Amino acid sequence: MSDPVALFFIFLKAAALGMGGYGSLPLLREDLVLTGLATDEQLIQALAVGRFSTGPNGTYILSLGYFVGGIGGAIAALIASCLPPLVMVPLVAVARGRLLSPGFAGFNRGVLLAISGLLLAFGLAILVPTGRSGLAWWHIVLALGAMAVTVQGRVHPAILIGVGAAAGLLLGR
Amino acid sequence: MAPVTLGDLARAWIAVGTQSIGGASSTVYLMRSRLVERTGWLTRREFMESYSLSQLSPGIHLIALAALLGHRLAGVRGVLVSVAGMMVPAAIITVALSAILIGVTGHPLTHAALAGVGPVTAGMTAGLAVISARGTVRRGLRGALDVAVIALAFMTFVGTSVSPAIVIIGCGLVGILLLRHERPETERAAGEE
Repeated sequence: MSDPVALFFIFLKAAALGMGGYGSLPLLREDLVLTGLATDEQLIQALAVGRFSTGPNGTYILSLGYFVGGIGGAIAALIASCLPPLVMVPLVAVARGRLLSPGFAGFNRGVLLAISGLLLAFGLAILVPTGRSGLAWWHIVLALGAMAVTVQGRVHPAILIGVGAAAGLLLGR
Repeated sequence: MAPVTLGDLARAWIAVGTQSIGGASSTVYLMRSRLVERTGWLTRREFMESYSLSQLSPGIHLIALAALLGHRLAGVRGVLVSVAGMMVPAAIITVALSAILIGVTGHPLTHAALAGVGPVTAGMTAGLAVISARGTVRRGLRGALDVAVIALAFMTFVGTSVSPAIVIIGCGLVGILLLRHERPETERAAGEE
């Protein structure tokens, strides 16, 4: 079980540098999975739990905190994920004009584009270890189908997870 | 209109935090329903202005939105009540679901089911990347520059050991120099973030 204080700083870094609910994913994989504190399987499970849970996108961080650090890890993840967005309150109060400047818009666009590229690569990175005994054809079909349906945006994410679980029960044994 | 009490505010945000299954779109819908349509505490314009500003935030944008709306309605205490009201119930539900999953992880059927959940999660993440890019990439030659930044971030993650943190900050700095012509179309992603 990892130290909640150390986890807090890992989650804080990810929340501060990632934009959006899933922008922290590549950062957390680097700091938790590649360092051996968590596994890709735990990350996938946390993402699935986040899709079933309530609240905004990004609650997967709380599940991941629980997986690697128990209740203390979940609390660390909760506090760390809430702090960076709070800076918007004083920023909007004192520097609203600067937030709407072309320079800040350019920075914002650059960060969003980087996160798009990183998330695409992250999707590929977590697909590969899924097939421990080799990537099967149905893994690829499921991934491409889930990608297309997500882009279309008409199916609830929890249903997609359910379809994946059913496919795993039928084909993964 | 009578001032909003902290108790009223807490009840509204707890409802958002416990009923918004499915991520951003349902959360934004509930926020607007509770704070604009049902109570009239905020106008649609005020809500959308805070929404647009929240899209510039680091981290989870909807936490920033809860904070900005809470501040409009009840000052600093409104910030704390709004963020805690939305996130604490969501955290309790998330931890409970995680504990249930840990309890059944060792079962062979769970193992098989997760073998199908993995590729779906990977595909959904890639889909989110496409949605994010679709709302950000511009048209024409500027769009080609945007796509080049996405490709650079992708290749750096796949082909090098450079930290994603460096990639994000680096692309932000590139954005200040080269991508500053207009603001990202954040409102188009209202139901997607």
